[in-house]
Amino acid sequence: MIEVEALHKLYGDLPAVQGLSFRVGPGEVLGLVGPNGAGKTTTIRSIAGIIRPTQGRIRIAGHDLGVDPVPAKMALAFVPDEPHLFEYLTVEEHLRFVGRLYQVPEVAQRIPAILEEMELAARGGALPGELSRGMKQKLAIACGLLHSPKAMLLDEPLTGLDPIGIRRMKATIVRRAEAGAAVILSSHLLHLVEEICTRVLILNHGRMLALGTVGEIVAARADLAGRPLEEVFLALIGHGESDA
Amino acid sequence: MNGIFHYLVWRTTRNRVAGQLRQLRQPRYLAALVLGLGYLWVIVVQQRPTSLAAAGVEAGLVELLAAVAVLGAVLWSWIFGAERRALGFTPAEVTFLFPGPVSRRELIGFKLLKTQLVILLNAILWTAVLSRDRAGLSTWLRAASVWVLLTTLSLHRLGASFVRTSLREHGWLGLPHQAASLFVVTVVLAAAGWSIADAATAIAAGWSLGIAEFLGALRDAAQGTAPRALLYPFELVVKPVAVGTPGEWLRAMGPALLVLALHYVWVIRWDAAFEEAAAEASLRRAAALTDPRTGRIGGRAASRSTPRFLRLGTKGWSGGAIVWKNLLAAVRFRRVRGGAIALGLAAVLLAVLSFYGEGTLAELAGWFTLTWAGVVLVVGPQWVRNDLRSDLLMLDLLRAYPLRGSTVVSAEVMASASVLTALQLSLLLLTFLAFLGNQTLEPGLGARSALFLGALVSLPLLNFHSVLIQNGAALLFPAWVPLGRDRAGGVEALGQSMLLIIGSAVLLSAILLLPLAAGGAVFLVLRTHLGLWSLIPAVPAAAGLLVLEGAVIVRWLGRIFERTEPGAGLAVN
Repeated sequence: MIEVEALHKLYGDLPAVQGLSFRVGPGEVLGLVGPNGAGKTTTIRSIAGIIRPTQGRIRIAGHDLGVDPVPAKMALAFVPDEPHLFEYLTVEEHLRFVGRLYQVPEVAQRIPAILEEMELAARGGALPGELSRGMKQKLAIACGLLHSPKAMLLDEPLTGLDPIGIRRMKATIVRRAEAGAAVILSSHLLHLVEEICTRVLILNHGRMLALGTVGEIVAARADLAGRPLEEVFLALIGHGESDA
Repeated sequence: MNGIFHYLVWRTTRNRVAGQLRQLRQPRYLAALVLGLGYLWVIVVQQRPTSLAAAGVEAGLVELLAAVAVLGAVLWSWIFGAERRALGFTPAEVTFLFPGPVSRRELIGFKLLKTQLVILLNAILWTAVLSRDRAGLSTWLRAASVWVLLTTLSLHRLGASFVRTSLREHGWLGLPHQAASLFVVTVVLAAAGWSIADAATAIAAGWSLGIAEFLGALRDAAQGTAPRALLYPFELVVKPVAVGTPGEWLRAMGPALLVLALHYVWVIRWDAAFEEAAAEASLRRAAALTDPRTGRIGGRAASRSTPRFLRLGTKGWSGGAIVWKNLLAAVRFRRVRGGAIALGLAAVLLAVLSFYGEGTLAELAGWFTLTWAGVVLVVGPQWVRNDLRSDLLMLDLLRAYPLRGSTVVSAEVMASASVLTALQLSLLLLTFLAFLGNQTLEPGLGARSALFLGALVSLPLLNFHSVLIQNGAALLFPAWVPLGRDRAGGVEALGQSMLLIIGSAVLLSAILLLPLAAGGAVFLVLRTHLGLWSLIPAVPAAAGLLVLEGAVIVRWLGRIFERTEPGAGLAVN
């Protein structure tokens, strides 16, 4: 469970996120969409504990991130858009490292399975410098999944993946959600969001424009009935007429 | 094309400095600037001028010592190299310039232009220091002399990097292209080796008698034909810095400029090798762009095997994962097993040699290893950077880990401190064994044993605090402290490095003050009964206080880590 209450984040005088509140329950995949600079990454980084909210409260699996950050982060996986990897650790060592960090029991048994799932089984001894962009992304995702997190934050998780990798990754996200994880997925790929997210949160200028299933969002605007998410999104952020 | 390079260097520097100055809105940066300026004032300006003549040191001897130091720096760059720094281009420069319509010669020119920024800064520092010591020569002339010296050394380092990289890439096939350079280097190395071997006994004897005798022995040794020929070109570039009058300066500057010009020609004619060497070094520096097929980083093939003592357990302190990661980074590209075997063999050999003959060889080796242990103690915290100074570049990731700030800080610092301690203790062990059979050396064997045991306890703590200071600076002033594994290096950056070392030493002294006072009190009280063995209770007393201080500082820095946000203008190397 991820709960966000009245989240505000200011960078100097610039409000990046203003009064954002929502919750993502177990089994849910929330799609976070918005134009560049809408506040998606700030929201995700605040929930991941990377940046401190100016105001508001964030709870992960019942733990207040501001008060009890270590147990909150223990339940969380954060996969950034750019895979940050340690150049001196092999693929398998990355997983061992994460296993110790998150105190994962029986990590040695879990590693082969997750390498298999991410199609990295043959590259276990490779250093990041020897991996393609897509493989690095898969490794970053594998590191996020190793400790079976109750909450997952995925920032543009499909960047750099090939079509087979994209299909597998979508299946992985859905499977993890079905297993009980609460997932927030930030992406500009609206068809992806439409395909795998149970609900969508549309942000613009740090404010929430809409929250709900695609059907609920469309139902709120009679003029958008039957339109795909892309057109709904463009209309909501004020680009629907001019760009059409 | 030169115009565009000047534009790039000028705008980059201007924007970087402006960004760093903007940080002065934060009180801690402002306070640091005031303290830093005060520190510079005390170190550089307010020091009472001391005449070398008054100190009993002849000008000729100063020149000789400087020439020997420059020779040492040059040999170091040939033997150990530093290609990644010497040939370093940022990934953006590689992306825009290497495929762009830019000739190789222009790229070298750009590289030299960039190096000039560091050289000019250090020339100012050295001029300020040296001008205190000399009368009769204007500051401008002195600055020009220092600039010529530093630029020549920088060019030499760049040229050496070309040769080394080209040889590494092309192996034996590359030999004919570097024949002239390699011939000169071989002759210089042979001459240096022969000169050292020839004078070693006399210099060692002088050293055991005192500093004046040591300097006298060194001067006598330099009078031989081979040493004089060897040092001649180095004296040419050093002389303008050492002279005292404008007339002498004019006479000395001509040959120094000639050496500089020869170096420029040597480097600029390397255009063919430059592009591949620089691209290779720069691309590996930006690990993200490393060739996936080779798996080589920094010019060395990585060993995939993990040393047995570095296996990560699945349970235990979470911070242990960070210590493990950083230790692995430190040993991954070094031949640990080979090093351990060599250390063991050297230890046995030195111990045996120390009992035979006059033990001159063992003694020389002992002084050498002791000196290096000292160097690693002082300079090591700047060399070993597998800690927050590297990992702050991935602050996003660190902040997302389920660890308290204090855990992250202590784990990061522990790794670098462990590497330094292992290095120093190895060197001290060799020193101890080199003097094992020496019956005449004071302090005696018993006291030396006590000192070694004391070092076992105190060095880990000392290193922890030294590295903690460096990491604290990176955390407190992320916009000012360059991050990344590479530090600003080379002789051209020596002035900056010295200021940093002195500043760190002052801070470390402040931290050590209370523990040393407590340990000293215990030592003095027990000394009459236990002699030097009273170090055994004194060291733990001091160590206990040091641990306490360390815990407080780590806790404080941990809170700062938790408040540090990514994108707060990190200074990337």
